Amino acid sequence: MIYLTLFWEYFKIGLFTIGGGYAMLPLVTQIVTKHGWMTEQQLIEFIGVAESTPGPFAINLATFVGNTVGLSTSLGVFGGILGSLVATVAVVLPSLIIIMIVTGLFGKFQSNKYVKGALKGIRPVVVGLILSAVFTVAAKVVLPDFSFKNIFAGGVSRFNWISLIIMAAFFPLAQIKIKGKKIHPILLILLSAAVGIVIFGTLGAQQ
Amino acid sequence: MKHNATKTNTDQGRQVSLWQLFVTFFKTGLFTFGGGYAMISILEEELVAKKHWITSRDMLDMLVIAESTPGVIAVNTATSVGFRMRGILGAIVATLGVVLPSFVIISALSYVINAFADNTWYKAAFTGVQACVTVLVVNAFIKMFRQLESGWFSALMLTAAFNVALFTDFNVIFLILIGGASGILYSLVADSVSRRKGRKLPLENSDIIDGERSDDGENRQSGGDE
Repeated sequence: MIYLTLFWEYFKIGLFTIGGGYAMLPLVTQIVTKHGWMTEQQLIEFIGVAESTPGPFAINLATFVGNTVGLSTSLGVFGGILGSLVATVAVVLPSLIIIMIVTGLFGKFQSNKYVKGALKGIRPVVVGLILSAVFTVAAKVVLPDFSFKNIFAGGVSRFNWISLIIMAAFFPLAQIKIKGKKIHPILLILLSAAVGIVIFGTLGAQQ
Repeated sequence: MKHNATKTNTDQGRQVSLWQLFVTFFKTGLFTFGGGYAMISILEEELVAKKHWITSRDMLDMLVIAESTPGVIAVNTATSVGFRMRGILGAIVATLGVVLPSFVIISALSYVINAFADNTWYKAAFTGVQACVTVLVVNAFIKMFRQLESGWFSALMLTAAFNVALFTDFNVIFLILIGGASGILYSLVADSVSRRKGRKLPLENSDIIDGERSDDGENRQSGGDE
């Protein structure tokens, strides 16, 4: 039964990838090609879509893979929805269980000497990971061909200076307080979408 | 650095309804793009600044849990916060909330999704959004950075993790494990050193800081505008 296979494969992906959604990519590629659910090309095309549609990247991907698998069955549209549901639940389920246990234990052992010590080391590591994400995300926007993992490969010829200006303009916007309140990040995102439509759509600036 | 919302979270947690949890995480899921880091800014605004459900320090600790466990970081953060607020049901509701927008959007648009994402206007809007998301990740970094203890040890761990994560393909879980082990080692050494010098233990010092924080509970209003 294809849904069981889908569930089991995505359950394993959810269980064995640490480091967030992008770390799942190699495993997802492996399973969809192994079972012949999708070609690698189809998957690569959808990665761009999953990044630009709302929602966490990995969940978008799981929903899409599940949908494609489900549509191939005799159930049609209903099969697609069922497939999405199966893949999404399967990828979320392992961490749901693990996190509940860990968060519960964390509350209990928070004041333990060793847990406290370990946290002292892990907290700065996590903040370091966020800082590295800052650079990766910024490079993706401003220098789309550049990779920090391969800095000598160049990839600096495409430089999106307009995006850089938008970033520079939004940074102070994200800091200022109006009547003691910061502008809500969701409002900033909506505003940036409007700015994008005007600058890149209406005025036709190079993306 | 201001500290707000210092009441114990379990006390506040009882006031949070499952519906509120669901709506908050649905909103967060809807406006998360790409990886999960930009959502930290949204969660900070929703959970810390507006609703005082948790503190920024709690936020960092939940990120620690989300990073150290398998799965999608955005989802893990939702599960962790939900569980903290309302137990098992809270974890399920928050997870459902953060996942549902993806599920609905991708399922509904499955036939046209490629055309949709290729649309000129959508692309233009998304290019703008990407720039904003970068700014939000920068803000998330600043917020979380402020929650760290100062000192050479934090600086060293941060710099090392940053460089390794950015320039190499080294697995994140090993960074976390090395971080944890170094933290324990550092605390033990720092303990024995200060014991020999007859000073206060660093671990106890952090307790004192915690104590100070709970003293300024009445400053909650003024600190809450952060």
